[in-house]
Amino acid sequence: MSPSLERGINAFVNQIDGPIASYFNSCVHCGMCAHACLFYTETGDPKYTPIYKTEPLRRAWKQNFTFWGRLLSKLGLDKKITDEELAEWETLIYDGCTLCGRCTAVCPVGNDITYMIRKSREAMAASGHAPEGLKMATTRAIEIGSPMGVTIDTLKAQIKHTEKETGLTVPLDVQGAEYLMLLSSAEIAQFNEIIGAVTEIFDRAGVSWTLSSTAFEATNSGIQIGSADLAAELVQRIVDSAERLGVRTVISPECGHAYTALRWEGPNLIGRSYSFEVKHILEVLDELRADGRLQTSGRESARVTFHDPCQLVRRGGVVQQPRSLLNMVADDFVEMPDAGVMNWCCGGGGGVSANERANPLRAQVFSRKKRQLDGLQVEKLVTACSNCRNMLEEGLEENHMEDIEVVGLTELLAEYLPEKK
Amino acid sequence: MTRPTLAQQLARQGISRRAFLKFCAATASMMALPPTMAPAIAEALGKRTRPSIIWLSFQECTGCTESLTRSHSPTVENLIFDLISLDYHHTLQAAAGEAAELAREQAMEEGGYLVLVDGSIPVADGGVYSTIAGMTNLDMLAHTVKDAAAVVAIGTCAAFGGIPKADPNPTGAKSVAALMADGSIASKPLINVSGCPPIPVVITGVLAHYLTFGTVPELDDLGRPRAYFGDSIHDRCYRRPFYDAGKFAKTFDDEGARKGWCLYELGCKGPTTHNACATAKWNMGTSFPIESGHGCIGCSEPDFWDAGSFYKPLSAATGDLSGLAGGAIAAGAVAGAAAGLYARSQKHKAAASREKMTVDDLKD
Repeated sequence: MSPSLERGINAFVNQIDGPIASYFNSCVHCGMCAHACLFYTETGDPKYTPIYKTEPLRRAWKQNFTFWGRLLSKLGLDKKITDEELAEWETLIYDGCTLCGRCTAVCPVGNDITYMIRKSREAMAASGHAPEGLKMATTRAIEIGSPMGVTIDTLKAQIKHTEKETGLTVPLDVQGAEYLMLLSSAEIAQFNEIIGAVTEIFDRAGVSWTLSSTAFEATNSGIQIGSADLAAELVQRIVDSAERLGVRTVISPECGHAYTALRWEGPNLIGRSYSFEVKHILEVLDELRADGRLQTSGRESARVTFHDPCQLVRRGGVVQQPRSLLNMVADDFVEMPDAGVMNWCCGGGGGVSANERANPLRAQVFSRKKRQLDGLQVEKLVTACSNCRNMLEEGLEENHMEDIEVVGLTELLAEYLPEKK
Repeated sequence: MTRPTLAQQLARQGISRRAFLKFCAATASMMALPPTMAPAIAEALGKRTRPSIIWLSFQECTGCTESLTRSHSPTVENLIFDLISLDYHHTLQAAAGEAAELAREQAMEEGGYLVLVDGSIPVADGGVYSTIAGMTNLDMLAHTVKDAAAVVAIGTCAAFGGIPKADPNPTGAKSVAALMADGSIASKPLINVSGCPPIPVVITGVLAHYLTFGTVPELDDLGRPRAYFGDSIHDRCYRRPFYDAGKFAKTFDDEGARKGWCLYELGCKGPTTHNACATAKWNMGTSFPIESGHGCIGCSEPDFWDAGSFYKPLSAATGDLSGLAGGAIAAGAVAGAAAGLYARSQKHKAAASREKMTVDDLKD
């Protein structure tokens, strides 16, 4: 059966569980989430208030699980969820939310609003109200293996290129390696220097690692569009490959949502725990630093700042690691206002960047990042997420701030590795 | 001789202005005052001469004094305490006998002093169960409170009666508030700083507020400063996500306990207890009881000693609920179960008609 309103409404009901019911019950309508959301603060439009984005889900809860709601529903006095309404909410739920988690962090009653919106997307997708761009990205992820259509052949070409450049072997499908490194398609297609950076760092640190030809893509479009079934399929590919190779740890690359998908949502999606650990590349690098295995020589003289990927700081707690790593090489490191746990989102995560319709809105809300950068007078903007990196590069260009160079932290560190003995 | 101001005294004791300002900023944030208040607090406190404080200890264990003075190495908190003029305190004063009582009388002569009380006051049998210098506790309290500017009841015994008042209460122990209510002592502005013992920074914070603004801070319905007792332990507990997720430790040594799950089913009283433990923490901000694996026992609430076992979950009945109450509970339980079953059937229906999504669903 194809997507339909009926299927969508059924999916809303299906998404309601204990936490969701208690969240709706506890909301005190204080509006603090509005001021935490860059889509509200940068547009001033109250429709972007995070909790308002969950309105269809709230109605489904009210009409099916509360006494008065059921009574009104029986009497036909309630407002039914309609296709027109879902079409309207589509732009709020997909274009106007990056699942960045800021609203959750400020909610005084502890409602995980981000999770509520994430759950709403399940019903939106089931009712056929998902953006075209995300549908296509998800289709490519399932059928080709990556949302940008990158194939293993593309990766193999990049591996060859890296090997030629570094003179090192890039391990592929090595049975029994300690770490399995994943990549995001943006890294394979655009920021391929990362492959060389990781290869060099791991070589110097003596790390046993590998890439996998059956699981190289870390990102999960299934989660972004809101389909647990498709998301589980994508997670399962990684789990199967990791367990087949017998690795102890799977490394999520410089990508925020990939990390959340694999580390936090993954086990729930496939219904069991992993036989391996999942870490973000920054966590692994910081462990190597603490063990003395990651050494650097020389210092970066440019003035740098760090953009915290939302999923790392708010959903993952990776706050100190990038700072410890940056301090190894940066002489002039300045924090932007609101840095760390409450840093503002790049505006393109959670599937927004794959949704072309959202481009003008995304450009508008970049004003927040621009304000954060204004006055810092930095030459380099370091981050640890290839999607953030893309968004930052675009945003800076549009705002005529191209003199700020955007770099990935892993690459920056690789530039300061000591000469090989 | 003029008394030195607090700022001068602090400087003399090697406390830098920076450390003092940090204390003021922390106090402002703890009390939910805007950050811009910190300099105002610093200015007001810095100019103050040492106000006279009379500390009366009655039926108590000295735990409240220990909490304040012996908890850790000297900090701004306990130096602040050195810097109010603590003119009478059983445990801390050097004077004894008549000299000690004379000190109390002298401090009272100036008026406008603060009275800090720890411990409950026995009133049964003419108050004979606790006397000091030949005076019953009740007489001493009535005499001292008469000209006081305000009274601070430190600890649960003074605030609510505490352990001495626990059933069967052989000494007829009463709280300061109860004595004011029945007219046994003069009614004065009263601040209850409950807890067994109270958190040191809460005691000093309340004093700082009083010294800064000259007023009693905003209080809750039990006379406790809202700034510190406004939230429940549960609201601010770091284990709250496990409660929300329905993950509970069932025994103190099971898998759940090791994983740090919610202690609700092991009797944690966090949901009904108001205090700042989860935010201010103990032992210089190291941790609070739930962090060491034990549930909250609800020590800052009235009658905590008579509120049933520390190890029974809050949802378990504490008293005899037979008869009418039993019927009402049964009816409520049936209605609740019916609502729950209905909700479950709604979910089952939805789950049964759910269809797996495939990639074809994404193609138009």
